[in-house]
Amino acid sequence: MALDTIISLNNVSIFQKYNLVLANVNISIDKGEFVYLIGKTGSGKSSLLKTLYADLDLTEGSGNVAGFDLKSIKRKEIPFLRRKLGIVFQDFQLLTDRSVNDNLLFVLKATGWKDKQAMQKRIQEVLDKVNLTTKGFKMPHELSGGEQQRISIARALLNDPELILADEPTGNLDPETSEGIMNLLVEISKNGRAVLIATHDIMMFDKFPSRTIRCESGKVIDSMANRP
Amino acid sequence: MSDKYSKRRLTGSSITTVVSLSLVLFMLGFLGIIILNTRKLSDNFKENIGVQVLINDNAKDVDVQHLIKTLDASDYVKSTQSISKEEAAKKLQEDIGEDFIDFLGFNPLSASVTVRLNAEYANADSLAWIERDLLETNLVKEVIYQKSLVNSINENVKTISLWVLIISSVLMFIALALINNTIRLSIYSKRFIIKTMQLVGATQGFIRRPFVLKGIRHGIYGAGIAIAMLIGFLFFIQKQLPELAELQDPNMLASLFGIVIMLGIIISWISTSLAVRKYLRLKSDELYY
Repeated sequence: MALDTIISLNNVSIFQKYNLVLANVNISIDKGEFVYLIGKTGSGKSSLLKTLYADLDLTEGSGNVAGFDLKSIKRKEIPFLRRKLGIVFQDFQLLTDRSVNDNLLFVLKATGWKDKQAMQKRIQEVLDKVNLTTKGFKMPHELSGGEQQRISIARALLNDPELILADEPTGNLDPETSEGIMNLLVEISKNGRAVLIATHDIMMFDKFPSRTIRCESGKVIDSMANRP
Repeated sequence: MSDKYSKRRLTGSSITTVVSLSLVLFMLGFLGIIILNTRKLSDNFKENIGVQVLINDNAKDVDVQHLIKTLDASDYVKSTQSISKEEAAKKLQEDIGEDFIDFLGFNPLSASVTVRLNAEYANADSLAWIERDLLETNLVKEVIYQKSLVNSINENVKTISLWVLIISSVLMFIALALINNTIRLSIYSKRFIIKTMQLVGATQGFIRRPFVLKGIRHGIYGAGIAIAMLIGFLFFIQKQLPELAELQDPNMLASLFGIVIMLGIIISWISTSLAVRKYLRLKSDELYY
């Protein structure tokens, strides 16, 4: 695996229970790349992402994400892999029992931050990046879908990850809000982080053209497969 | 306003858990009181069985006094009460209203010692060797006690204790299952939050800790309420049946309340840990089954 490669999958087969979802997956994504993962509903996009953040076990083939070997990773090591990633979900997955600030504070505490002032500063920084500095005191259900997704992205940015994995981040949003979210993700990618975004929103490809990995008929087709 | 609503809803779920815990712990404490009182009551019955030791007419007073002292000092005796030959005659005369000594020309009654045994010796086997030992002293003419009463009390105590134990075990099992289910349901409602915590990089220990601490807190609150209910119950019972008050041992009750608190903490701790552990081990897709 090259030094600037953040994701590397070789001859990977992905299973949901005992059902083969994707076979012979070979992907390599470098740091700072912006990549679409596209395909119909049920084509295996989410399963592929889940394999990358170790929510699905890698049983066939070999894979490496942010320096972690997915095949030999131990249960205890999974949180440390996830600290190197930022994960954004279609349904936001914010902690609904606490405010936005407390959502972000939880992640910082969970990932080893101790200094209260440094934590508050970091929270303000990420909220500023997603233009929601005044919403920290709100509960998640008091925010619009677009705002919740921005908070979800802010949460993903907290530990300055090398890779952002976004699973249908615009799936629950109207076109205008979706464009705002995509702008944000493109901006993040320009700052040197790799972004892998699963989507079936083809309108986005025209507005933000980039490398595409397609899941189709149990296989993965990379638009840059033959790149030098 | 919705913030307040959300907090109220969370408090509501905690209250439900604490109330369920306190009811179940009250039931366990109640069982404890029944078990303690059953034992005390059976001991009380056993210790009221009187064994009459009839003294030989030719026994010297000094020897009889020595025998009584020896009896008082022995492990199996709770108390002794001696009646001289003359006192026995006087008592019988009062009872039947006739001077039978005048009629017979002599006092046929013997001096006697009524021995009340400690509960653990009030059984047929112990009574047999106590009788044998007493007869061997040559001071004792006869040892009288109601064998059938002793056997019947012991048999009944055995049967009642067995049933109390069986019923207690069944109720204890039901109580544990109820607490476990209440806690599991409470954790089940937070399974997606647990999964989200995992996905943002929290370790299992970091996620589990606040749930377990909250569980322990609920256990303590539940035990506190249960103890208050038990004290209220005991107060009510003692007002209705004052004779039961004599059976209550404050130290025993304090130990029982301590056990209720420990049970509240341990059960909540174990149930919460197991329930959280279950959801920590599930994959995202398995949360929907």
